[in-house]
Amino acid sequence: MHIPDGFLSPQTYLPAYAVAAGAWTWAAKGLRESLDETTVPRLAMITALAYGLGLVMVPIPGGTSGHALGVAMLALIFGVRSAFVAYSLVLLLQSLLFGAGGITALAVNALSMGLVGAATAVAARRLLRRFGDTLSVGMAAWLSVVVSGVLVALALGIQPLIAHKADGTPLFFPFGLNITLQAIFLPHIVIGIGEAALTVLVWRYAKARKWVFP
Amino acid sequence: MTPRSWLVLYLGAVVAITFIHTPEVLAALLVIVVAASGTLRWKLLRRALLAILAFNLTISAGYVCVALWQGNFVADYLLLVNLRVLLLVYIGFWFVSSADLLGALSGWPLATLLATLSIGQIKTFERILRDFRLAFQSRNLARPKLIDRSRHAAAQAQTLLDKSLASANEAALAMRSRGAFDD
Repeated sequence: MHIPDGFLSPQTYLPAYAVAAGAWTWAAKGLRESLDETTVPRLAMITALAYGLGLVMVPIPGGTSGHALGVAMLALIFGVRSAFVAYSLVLLLQSLLFGAGGITALAVNALSMGLVGAATAVAARRLLRRFGDTLSVGMAAWLSVVVSGVLVALALGIQPLIAHKADGTPLFFPFGLNITLQAIFLPHIVIGIGEAALTVLVWRYAKARKWVFP
Repeated sequence: MTPRSWLVLYLGAVVAITFIHTPEVLAALLVIVVAASGTLRWKLLRRALLAILAFNLTISAGYVCVALWQGNFVADYLLLVNLRVLLLVYIGFWFVSSADLLGALSGWPLATLLATLSIGQIKTFERILRDFRLAFQSRNLARPKLIDRSRHAAAQAQTLLDKSLASANEAALAMRSRGAFDD
């Protein structure tokens, strides 16, 4: 669900960078405390996996793309802070190496998918833990995709309202909330099911190898 | 120029471009950066066009349909948004091909550490996937059945994760021996 470069106005991405800078500082502090020779290789592996998953994407008419995130597996295995830093790095590499997403959209993409997506996954897993691993992990992953999708749709859908010419012609993203919410939300209900299946598989892989979860 | 200076220049250019709303100016800037990027220009332009093709076509086609239906179609908007996106993606690729990305991140040790390890992992993934694909092709003269492809994908995923973890473990132990986790 990357927002591509050039579709967000400076009125959106500059404040988003200010918020993201604070969040990155907070997350990096937490990550630094948890890094050692056991967590580093695991984090690198799952980060690379999330990077690969994010590159298999399909354009969605509402102005973004549909793809698995991998942020729920990062969050459930390493915690929200580590997941946010790692996923931000994934987004940076994808934008610079493949033009997927972009530098202007990086902060909004990172906050919506990396931070809110990760926090949603962890909160949902805690709430649903009593229903068993498969259901709680699957639902956590599904919810992380859907909630992130709604945030991305909101960020895109407000562009015609806040950045337009005097005659109403949009300057950045052309479609309003009435289009983006439907166009992005509905496909991500289905994409979330794939994400849930992938996350459960990786979760089982980690559990079989007795990784310690936060 | 140092990698950090390239990074600052690149980020400044990105912000400046998003404040320009005249297609003619964006077109002129695109011509200038394409001309300035030397022998890489056609490769970069092709990469940038391919990278934006699917999304921009989808959004442009969507805009044409909706705007014509609502009776407020403006051709200038299509030019503006497509030129802006192409210019941003082009200078991004130019920056990555001209500047040392890890050098530019050197002021942030944590980001450099994660980027180095993750890029290493990405290369490991690419190599394993290629090896598996070639091995699978060489063992199947006809197109394999869905069940065989599923079994192959499952085995590939398992090996991918195990090999990747082993390779990252080696890197982390090498870092440990050099005192990377002592601070």
